[in-house]
Amino acid sequence: MAGLSKRQARPLVFLPYFAFLAVFLVWPALYVFRSAFERSGAPRSPMIEAVTGQYRGSFVYSLQLSFASAAIGVLVGSLVAIAVVQLDSIRGVRSALVGYSSVAANMGGIPLAFAFLAAFGMQGLATRLLREINVDLVGWGFKITDFWGIVLVYLYFQIPLMTLILVPALDGLRRTWHEAAQSLGASAPQYWRLVAFPILLPALLGGFLLLVSNSFAAYATAFALSSGSSRLVPVQIRFFLQGETITGKTNLGYAMAAWMVLITALLVVGFQALVRRSERWRR
Amino acid sequence: MNRSLAFLSVTKSFGKTLALDHFSVEVAEGELVSLLGPSGCGKSTALRVAAGFENPDSGDVMVGESSVLGSPANERGMGLVFQNYSLFPHLNVRENLEFGLRVRRSSAAVRRARVTELLELVRLSGLDDRLPHQLSGGQQQRVALARALAVEPRVLLLDEPLSALDATVRVEVRDEIRRIQRGSGIATLFVTHDQDEALAISDRVCVMRSRRVEQVGTPRAVYRYPATPFVARFVGRVNDLAVVVRGVGIVALRGSTSGFPVPQSGPSSGDARLLLRPEDVRVVGLSDDALARGRVEAVHFGGATTSVDVLLTPSNQTVRSTDATRNVRCEVGEEVGVVFDTERALLTREP
Amino acid sequence: MMSGRKLWWSVLVVVTVFYAIPMVAMTRFAFQRVPVIKLSWSNVFDKWTVAPIGETFADPNFRSSALLSIGLSVATAVLTVLLLVPTMALAHLRSPRVRRWIEVSAVLPFVVPAIALVVGFAGAFRGTAPLFIRNPYGMVPLLVITALPFTHRTIENGLSSIDLRTLVDASRSLGAGWNRTIWTVVAPNIRGSIATATFLAITVVLGEFTIASLLLKNTLPLYLAYAQGQNPQGAFAVGLVLTAISASLIGITNGIGRRSRR
Repeated sequence: MAGLSKRQARPLVFLPYFAFLAVFLVWPALYVFRSAFERSGAPRSPMIEAVTGQYRGSFVYSLQLSFASAAIGVLVGSLVAIAVVQLDSIRGVRSALVGYSSVAANMGGIPLAFAFLAAFGMQGLATRLLREINVDLVGWGFKITDFWGIVLVYLYFQIPLMTLILVPALDGLRRTWHEAAQSLGASAPQYWRLVAFPILLPALLGGFLLLVSNSFAAYATAFALSSGSSRLVPVQIRFFLQGETITGKTNLGYAMAAWMVLITALLVVGFQALVRRSERWRR
Repeated sequence: MNRSLAFLSVTKSFGKTLALDHFSVEVAEGELVSLLGPSGCGKSTALRVAAGFENPDSGDVMVGESSVLGSPANERGMGLVFQNYSLFPHLNVRENLEFGLRVRRSSAAVRRARVTELLELVRLSGLDDRLPHQLSGGQQQRVALARALAVEPRVLLLDEPLSALDATVRVEVRDEIRRIQRGSGIATLFVTHDQDEALAISDRVCVMRSRRVEQVGTPRAVYRYPATPFVARFVGRVNDLAVVVRGVGIVALRGSTSGFPVPQSGPSSGDARLLLRPEDVRVVGLSDDALARGRVEAVHFGGATTSVDVLLTPSNQTVRSTDATRNVRCEVGEEVGVVFDTERALLTREP
Repeated sequence: MMSGRKLWWSVLVVVTVFYAIPMVAMTRFAFQRVPVIKLSWSNVFDKWTVAPIGETFADPNFRSSALLSIGLSVATAVLTVLLLVPTMALAHLRSPRVRRWIEVSAVLPFVVPAIALVVGFAGAFRGTAPLFIRNPYGMVPLLVITALPFTHRTIENGLSSIDLRTLVDASRSLGAGWNRTIWTVVAPNIRGSIATATFLAITVVLGEFTIASLLLKNTLPLYLAYAQGQNPQGAFAVGLVLTAISASLIGITNGIGRRSRR
């Protein structure tokens, strides 16, 4: 082999890539953490303040929202995934749904918020249609900008994301395992309890974690729905750090951002660990 | 006789495609019967019908005196081993082995004892903590076999259990299977497309083709006395020679005039094919009495046997002779003669 | 299992309806000049027009924001390919360890949400390299990072599916330098992956709001957010078009993926 193998140790050629990441990813992250610990006159470290003081509510609200949309997303997304696999024999069902899911999972941001405002807002089409059948969303106090409204919007991309995660996992559920279980005497519920569910658990849990972090980090949709004044953490961070307004709370903003990174890191690491373990099983 | 398996004229179609056509075969208690045939012949379908994963359109499957068609797959008491992915990947060896017992709610003590017993049976003691992906292919199949035996099935169904294994491991595991099956005395159905396997371990071989049974018999019978040209060609190696039928029981090689005797069944005139086993062809010196002459094209040294390919003139076709006597001393290019022993040959018009 | 099948069909139908309603509502709002309150079965087909798109296009703010978004997409896609292809190819060839590091590093952007990334970036660069903050194209590195998990995986799949070593050895033995080898030999052989990575990068950038919002750069999504107040129909119409474009791009990448698997 000419040339290449002689120059085995040339780590410098990888420098551009890692330097790029260092400058544009690591440094900003470090800056966030450094600023998050700067007290500059306040009685407590901003990191503590962020999760104990009056802004604690934001974290609670964001996490509640994330868990809610993740839980429902996992449930409905799993049902869709199972439906796709069960109806696999019908041509086009799988490719249509998986195709659409990959589009919808990436959708978000402004157009999505618009779409839901157009549908379920006070002047929404669906709101209007539901009134025709005597379902008065407005009268019930339902607002697309409230907790469950936002959950509904987030579900638009949470459900397809879960579907995309679970369909391959269901595909990996080999027919031979089901048949082996049957030959050993297992009934359908026993098969699900002892074989299928444990095998799918990493995908389900991992999907849940991914959906939580996905929802937690969402900014654009929240921003658009609430016109910039939401209790959700990402929008709060913006409030503290936008432009040059002297709120005196910039470090608090950085602290919230730092907590976001920590929480997200925890979720992502958990997700990776689960995925890797289940991949080892199935080689 | 409670642990025998019988297929009675089983027919199965998938939509418009026929998969089994009045398939009948019996496996006695303690017997190992192979279903041998090319892909698409229906052998796997037969196994799946027995196991309960497919329902036949007509016919019956009996274990002992009663039909199993009324029972669902998880109540038929049959052990099953697949080609691959038999073992549950999330359970270690011990948990895999005791799965059937857990389903039956056996006590922990019973399970533990049985697992130890089974591990000894397949000679894998000490590996009970491993996960399937940490085992080799051969080990996995042995565990799969043990797991199937754990619940003392009446019948054992093996669906090409060796096909996914490496060649050397295949022989080992195949011998293990035979040893264990003999020891347990369970009626066993062994599906394979590999005729070496089938001949090596079966009590009887059922050769299948196109959804039907071509021949059932002991390995020796099927090999030495093939009932049809298909069986002759599929099982073992065979010489397929172009001949002309001169009269009842007399043929001559294409291009030659000297006739020689063959069994009297088969076409009585015109062109035909003569199926002759390589061990029924003997290479002799040029000066000896010979049926035909030719030149040695190749010599295949197979360890215990030696095969010689001879290009016959004027017939212009190659015949292979296999000899285990170590008397053969041929060189490529040498002119030799050949002698045929046609007692077990088959004459046919089938191409 | 017939009733089982019906159950799953109903699941799909319900979900499809859920997916369709917002899109239908958005389309109706954008292109029909009838306020919802006045909507009734009699005038359902009245006053449909594509004029709102035209009105938006007439707005110079829109044009500049669209141009900026397109420019950013292209720049991000180009920088991504330039950065990833040579580095990853080299890692594949020479160092499985570095390859693993790159794989791990490509997941890091998931750990640092966009909001945290951009506030850190703004704070860090404000003092040392304010050019990145003043010039909208200073966002490109951040956008590359945002798209990294997806683009990395795509290129990784591409490189794994070809016989990289043979190609490179052959090219080098014929005298080609490293750069020529990468761009004239390797890249064309993974052009499906490069195309997919490009489309993914474009999709990400076209929809990216967080970074632009905090740096106050007038990209298309930002324009839409503010135009919602002034010309809601136009904004919704353009939002719809944007969604359609993103969907088509992803549809194409799925097609590329399917074709290469055959």
